Amino acid sequence: MQKIMVIEDDTAIQEELALLLENEGYMPLVVTNFTDIPGQAVLERPDLILLDIGLPGRDGFSLCAALRKAVSAPVIFVTSRDASTDEVRALSLGGDDYITKPYSVPVLLARIKAVLRRSFGEPEPADILEAGGLRLSLTKGVVSANGKTAELTRNELQILACLMAHTGQIVSRADLIDALWDNQIYIDDNTLSVNMTRLRGKLAEIGLPDAIKTRRGMGYQL
Amino acid sequence: MTLREFLSDRLGRIALQLICTGLAALFLLATGTQSGILLVLLLTLLMIFASVNAFDFFQQRARLLELETILEGLYRKYLFVECVPPPKNLYERRLFDLTRRAGRAMTGAVSDAQAQQREYREYVEQWVHEIKTPITAARLICRDLDGETRRKLIAELAQVEAHIERALFYARAENPEQDCLLRQIDLGKVAAQAIENHRSLLIQSGVQVATEELDCTVYTDEKWAVFILGQLLQNAARYRGTAPVITLSAKPLGKQTQLIVHDNGIGIPAHELPRVFDRGFTGSNGRNRGGSTGMGLYLCKKLAGFLELGLEIASEEGKGTTVTLIFPAKENLTKL
Repeated sequence: MQKIMVIEDDTAIQEELALLLENEGYMPLVVTNFTDIPGQAVLERPDLILLDIGLPGRDGFSLCAALRKAVSAPVIFVTSRDASTDEVRALSLGGDDYITKPYSVPVLLARIKAVLRRSFGEPEPADILEAGGLRLSLTKGVVSANGKTAELTRNELQILACLMAHTGQIVSRADLIDALWDNQIYIDDNTLSVNMTRLRGKLAEIGLPDAIKTRRGMGYQL
Repeated sequence: MTLREFLSDRLGRIALQLICTGLAALFLLATGTQSGILLVLLLTLLMIFASVNAFDFFQQRARLLELETILEGLYRKYLFVECVPPPKNLYERRLFDLTRRAGRAMTGAVSDAQAQQREYREYVEQWVHEIKTPITAARLICRDLDGETRRKLIAELAQVEAHIERALFYARAENPEQDCLLRQIDLGKVAAQAIENHRSLLIQSGVQVATEELDCTVYTDEKWAVFILGQLLQNAARYRGTAPVITLSAKPLGKQTQLIVHDNGIGIPAHELPRVFDRGFTGSNGRNRGGSTGMGLYLCKKLAGFLELGLEIASEEGKGTTVTLIFPAKENLTKL
């Protein structure tokens, strides 16, 4: 399990961030004593450090420089200071990324994942998804079942990928729209319906007309 | 100062001089002075008066010209009195002293006001940073809630953030050079960031956003560009029509780059269009809908001016609005 050191002085954020990271399968290390943080980092050997700038005692910039000397873990600045000059300064002091508060939770998680992947050369997310008798290639945009294949558009691909990632669960329309917006497909409810109909049509062509079930008033289920 | 102005100003004195000369001539004539001598005397007197006046005229004109030049060359014009050589003449010197005392009082008042304004701006910026911490905590806490409530709360939080953002940029717009960093940035990234920032509002409004050919780079400040685009997106979402679609597209215009934000919303009445960038202007749409502050586009114009961005708006009532942002060519940027 990867250790993430959280250097943040607001207790509400400390707690929630620790919970969030734990739920996402990381091991959070919350710093509560703000003296000799580099020393603590050497002892704990985190894989990633989330660093606030406005800290009691020492500011995050000089702390970042000290941390870089002490440990090799990548540092992500998470701060409410959003001046361009602060960002440049943070990155030039060895920060690996710079996220401004208030961040949205998916954005924070995505950037953590990206930095970890860059630093530790983790494998890219799987290209092939398999669920419910369907086999989906994300890079080729092709779905296959029963030996037949169908080509999907970008929108259909993302809808199906989202449903396949949550096989058996009910995915609400709002969650689907959120997932699409995450992938820079900015569609509305009506367009989702249109895409869903087309996707079902293509699944029917390859012999799975009822793969996606509609759960009235709740959403869709694969 | 023209000769005419000088003469009309001196009218009384010149008249007095002429009357005195005339009286003296009459007196001398009555006491039997020869007319030849009288003529010579008269001419001499008139010559003396004329040359005194001419001397005064040229001296005053030269002095005024000098003062004029000093004022022109000053950056802080209210410091004028501190920068001019004091006059020689007693009366003028007294006047000058009075003006200088008044000027000092004003300089003090100006620097007090400036200090107050700076402190206020600093306070606003600090406040904005502080308020972001509880909002971040609230966003994290929202994660534990069920779908619908979470979505609604996050949308409300996003509204709060949008208001805070405007306050921050309003404070920054006073001294833009402190925070502006012109760099080469990807227009697609700016668009994605602006959409992400306002995604709750856009999704809730049922808006569809189409992005076309945004893979080009521009030279500008990323945060400010994201802010400006964000204001335009918010407006488009707010004043939407049925089946709202916002289209973002880019196209080159010589060495410049145009970013076109088009919506199919309710549009702006033609007679209100020239005033939409005015501070506090809400227009009939804003009044009918409520919740409009009239600050968004005003701030956009102000920041765009500093970034040397062109900002143009066209609209047709009931059809939609098109806002065009024109990013300058790199070599035309004066501030780097």
